Amino acid sequence: MKFLVRRFLHSVFLLMGVSLLSFSLLQLTPGSFFDEMQLNPQISRATVSRLRAEYGMDRPMLQRYVCWLESAARGDWGLSFAYNAPVAPLIWARARNTLLLTGLALPLAWIIALPIGVLSAGERYRWIDRGGNLVASVLLVTPELLLALGLLWLALRTRWFPAGGMASVVPIKHGAAAHIKDLVQHLFAPVTVLVLGSLPVLLRHIRSAMVDALQTPYIKAARSHGIPYLRILFRHALLAASSPLLSLAGLSLASLLSVSLLVEVIMNWPGLGPLLLEAILARDVYVVVGAVMLSGLFLVCATAVSDVLLFIADPRIRTEDLA
Amino acid sequence: MGCHFTKGLPALLLSSVVVCLIPSSVSAQSPLSKEELLISNDPVGHPGGHLVVSLRSEPKTLNPVTSIDISSREVIAQMTGDLIHINRFSENTEPALAKSWKVSRDGLEYTLKLRRGLRFSDGSPLDADDVLFSFHAYLDEKVNSPQRDLLLIGGKPITIQRMDADTLVFRLAQPYAAAERLFDSVAILPRRLLEQAYNDGKLSQTWGLDTSPQQIAGLGPFRLKEYVVGQYLTLERNPYYWKADREGRRLPYLDQITFIFVPNADAEVIRFQAGDTDMVNRLSAEDYAALEKEQTAHSFHVYDAGPSLEYNFLLLNLNSSLPAQSEIAKKQKWFRDVKFRQAISLAIDRDSMIRLIYRGRGTPLWTPVTPASSFWIDNAIPHPPRSIDQARKLLQQAGFSWSRNGELTDDTGSPVKFSILTSASNSQRVQMATIIQQDLKELGVSAQVVSLEFRSVADRIFRSHDYEAAVLGLAGGDTDPNSQMNVWLSTGNDHLWDIGEAHPATSWEAEIDRLMEKQLTTLKPQARKILFDRVQEIIAENLPIISLVSPNVLVGAKDQLGNFRPAALDPHTLWNSQELFFSVTVAARQR
Amino acid sequence: MRLLSKKSLLLMSLVAIHVPILFSGLFAPYDVAEQNRDFSFVPPSRIHFTDAHRTLHLRPSVCSLENSGFGQYHENRDRCFPIHFLIMGSPYLLFGVFKSNLHLFGVEAPAKIFLMGTDLYGRDVFSRFLYGGQLSLLTGILATALSLGFGVLFGTLAGYYGGWPDAVIMRIAELFLALPWLYLLFAVRAFLPLNLNAAAAFCLLVSVIGIVGWARPARLVRGIALSSRERHYVLAARLFGGSDSYLIRRHVLPDAYAVIITQAVLLIPQYVLAEVTLSFLGLGVGEPTPSWGNMLSTLQQYQVLVSYWWLAIPGAVLVPVFCSYLLLASELQPRRTAIDA
Repeated sequence: MKFLVRRFLHSVFLLMGVSLLSFSLLQLTPGSFFDEMQLNPQISRATVSRLRAEYGMDRPMLQRYVCWLESAARGDWGLSFAYNAPVAPLIWARARNTLLLTGLALPLAWIIALPIGVLSAGERYRWIDRGGNLVASVLLVTPELLLALGLLWLALRTRWFPAGGMASVVPIKHGAAAHIKDLVQHLFAPVTVLVLGSLPVLLRHIRSAMVDALQTPYIKAARSHGIPYLRILFRHALLAASSPLLSLAGLSLASLLSVSLLVEVIMNWPGLGPLLLEAILARDVYVVVGAVMLSGLFLVCATAVSDVLLFIADPRIRTEDLA
Repeated sequence: MGCHFTKGLPALLLSSVVVCLIPSSVSAQSPLSKEELLISNDPVGHPGGHLVVSLRSEPKTLNPVTSIDISSREVIAQMTGDLIHINRFSENTEPALAKSWKVSRDGLEYTLKLRRGLRFSDGSPLDADDVLFSFHAYLDEKVNSPQRDLLLIGGKPITIQRMDADTLVFRLAQPYAAAERLFDSVAILPRRLLEQAYNDGKLSQTWGLDTSPQQIAGLGPFRLKEYVVGQYLTLERNPYYWKADREGRRLPYLDQITFIFVPNADAEVIRFQAGDTDMVNRLSAEDYAALEKEQTAHSFHVYDAGPSLEYNFLLLNLNSSLPAQSEIAKKQKWFRDVKFRQAISLAIDRDSMIRLIYRGRGTPLWTPVTPASSFWIDNAIPHPPRSIDQARKLLQQAGFSWSRNGELTDDTGSPVKFSILTSASNSQRVQMATIIQQDLKELGVSAQVVSLEFRSVADRIFRSHDYEAAVLGLAGGDTDPNSQMNVWLSTGNDHLWDIGEAHPATSWEAEIDRLMEKQLTTLKPQARKILFDRVQEIIAENLPIISLVSPNVLVGAKDQLGNFRPAALDPHTLWNSQELFFSVTVAARQR
Repeated sequence: MRLLSKKSLLLMSLVAIHVPILFSGLFAPYDVAEQNRDFSFVPPSRIHFTDAHRTLHLRPSVCSLENSGFGQYHENRDRCFPIHFLIMGSPYLLFGVFKSNLHLFGVEAPAKIFLMGTDLYGRDVFSRFLYGGQLSLLTGILATALSLGFGVLFGTLAGYYGGWPDAVIMRIAELFLALPWLYLLFAVRAFLPLNLNAAAAFCLLVSVIGIVGWARPARLVRGIALSSRERHYVLAARLFGGSDSYLIRRHVLPDAYAVIITQAVLLIPQYVLAEVTLSFLGLGVGEPTPSWGNMLSTLQQYQVLVSYWWLAIPGAVLVPVFCSYLLLASELQPRRTAIDA
């Protein structure tokens, strides 16, 4: 119980730190949202500076930070300059789509990576190891951007699946079933890219954790007891290897919101990616801070979950806190 | 503490703006007279169909008063009407909500006659008070409309007087050439829906994307139907639109237009290729070439609509505000020498730029005026071909020499080196800079390309002036030279090579100031043209910016789309959306 | 015996990959910035062993190209030129110091040899690939070393000592994971002087990425250290009076060894390819300096990828490069356990 309370307090401090530091970082970057207006020959400098003042950008950073905290407490999380609207609804409406995408892709990647990683660590399955190695290194050196473009090319050539977007604009059929089918078709390409993109890292880590676990004396003992090899791999060794894998799972959960950003942009997925990329480039600062806070929140939850799981799975750690 | 997130300004009254208000309650109740529709002369099409187009980014608002980004304005243009319109194809003004207008002899008074019996897209009638209200809103300093500066003539707002239910008089503080062009894109707002918000000081927050369709009304060919966050926005046909075709059928033909939001140019082209969209705008030459190969197999065509208004140029930092001992100030000694600038211009291989970057679909430039401004371009400007020899001669005359290993050095013996800044988001400009860098090597000048992300570039150019040279591009919204006043006047915001000058730094800048001010108040187009020709000559001679190339307008559309006539002015494709139609088969299939 | 031959094979392939990159001036036939504007987007040169009359020659030759419209070329089989080995060509600096103009191979003008074709400006992709490898590998290894160095240091400290050092370090790590570092990069780039050489500027940027990237490896190493310090033999060693630094060096770090090596081979390609994303945001290596990242990022444009397949060759060549790194890592891993066990 004490453990949980402590974690919670840590998390609150962490989020405060994240918000304060991201404010300072934003302060450092050159340019502001209102620069683009200056390029428009039809807008005078006076109008631009009036707008700056209206959005409070002429005030000192700390004052803006306090204002932002106030607005965050109200649930608005600041105001987007571009949309002239509160940040929270803007982000949330898009984060849902991102979560749908990554929430599907991550478990799928783990489901694929676990058996391959485990089997390729077991020395009896050398061919899986070699094949996995090759595939992993090919995927590792292929930037996700290129994977995405490759899939789009396939989509254009074959018309097997749609080339981007989340739904057909002019639906052919109506009804819930048709709607879901349409969604699944549109999900195919981005999910594939995300799965393929995260596979190599997962594979390498699972494999190396398993190789380590297989060297431990009790696995050797288990093998000498004649327990079936596959059972050793998946039951005993995997459990022994769980501690680094749980850390990894926590990390991959934490990066849930950020992994898909560029893929979303290429694949035209209406998630946080396009909004955030535009906000970053346009210096729509509160949108960026909002997105950072959301991913910070995710991180906090993910690390908490993985720590708790670690705590449960590894008796060696458990002893410390019980003491 | 007065945080800026609650933009609730105290209730403001109209009194802050100098306008004459006449009680309006009478006209609102007056019986509607017969509708005066505008009859279009273009080929007759078929009604029906659903057009899907893409937007390069998501629109931010549907509020014409505060919108500033291209995507929002493109959508808003479909939902609103203006009094006088610039025909994007002919580049001339034409009557819109105003059926006619008269200019007083001194050019200070514009009398506009409104069409009678028109209705907003929600069915409520339009009258002169709506026009009055709209202009108050745009001109109100507290609203901070980006359109406001356009409506200030000689620093003073235009004043508006309502003469009767359909006559309005606009008064200008000083004569302004082609002032009727200012009315273009000033959307007329429904007073009934917005007055309350305006009085509460909340006009800028209204009509966001989440507004329900019942709350929005306009005078454009289409009205809001549905907005899906991050994905698309659908407009439906405005049944009260004020244009009809030759057969008397009310326009527009299309039932719906959907704008899907795509985050980048690639996705835009891919969605078009996949058949998801019916039209594609602002194609790059590469994409154009790729689509051209496929157009026979698929049922679309790509079009080269000729020169655009975009001009790309090499900017040398001539800012006079930099401290004398700074590194850049030392380089400015070279940049300020007109012979140096001419030599650079002579060394640049514009033809290669056209061939490699635009695949031949562009025009080399020697002044910022592109052939798209067919009336204003001075065809007598010489086009000196690339010549390294000539460039070397000019440099020699200016006191430069070459070291033994071929490096160009100035009279103090220091080598000529500078960096060329460019925005990484525009690959064409990075390519131009790369070509220039190699061209200048032949002169012994070592230039280094630095591509940064756009805001960092803008910050250096507009605020810190911390750059040596830059490749930039500007695109005018209109062909008229008035739209570029801020670039040419030495006090202008966009006087890029020396921003924030209090006085013209050189005699030729003073001369440009004089000519531009003079043409602004000259009313006869021919007389203005003579003045502006002189400006172009001065620019071509003194090269404050070294003009490079201008791309053509490249677009694509499905074959079945009728009345599709891409134009040089923005928006290149949807400007005549009310007349676009699908040939029968498609319209029937989509039903 | 089998192991030895496999290892030497691996070593040989690593050498074969890295020597041309190290001596890129010698192996590359052309200068990286040299533009041949009449040869924009030329596909890889065909190398002929026969002449126009179909007679076989031992010395390979390339034929001169004729331009027929944009991006369309045809070979003139009547004008072929033999490939010469060890010939004099454009001058270059070997390791940035030694002046030379000796090239391993080349062909007399007007013919040109483009092993991997050319890009928009008509620059030789092969030469750019070799030169680009220098910068990319350097930055990749530098950034990996930085983030692993800091990551392992803080990770072991946190995991080994536990308690409040652990809490503090891990919360800071989370902070680092959550912050928008892109903005720091924008800021750093903005403060760098414009005249700074493109390669140096990029090195600096990547070092920043490397340093702020310590949190991930730190978390992974910490997990291992946490459990390894509770192992019985570690406890026993501590009982016998082993100092903290001894225990960390002898027991905790070796436990983390596999994770560290795995991280290293994963991070190098990730940092090399990070540039593809960075140039999406205008933070990549500036023209005309080549790097693997900016060569791949030209492929981001869909039409380029589809129309000019040879621009993807550098990407394809990277597969064996990083594959050999992975193999190296797998080779290194069992050796440790073999000794330890």
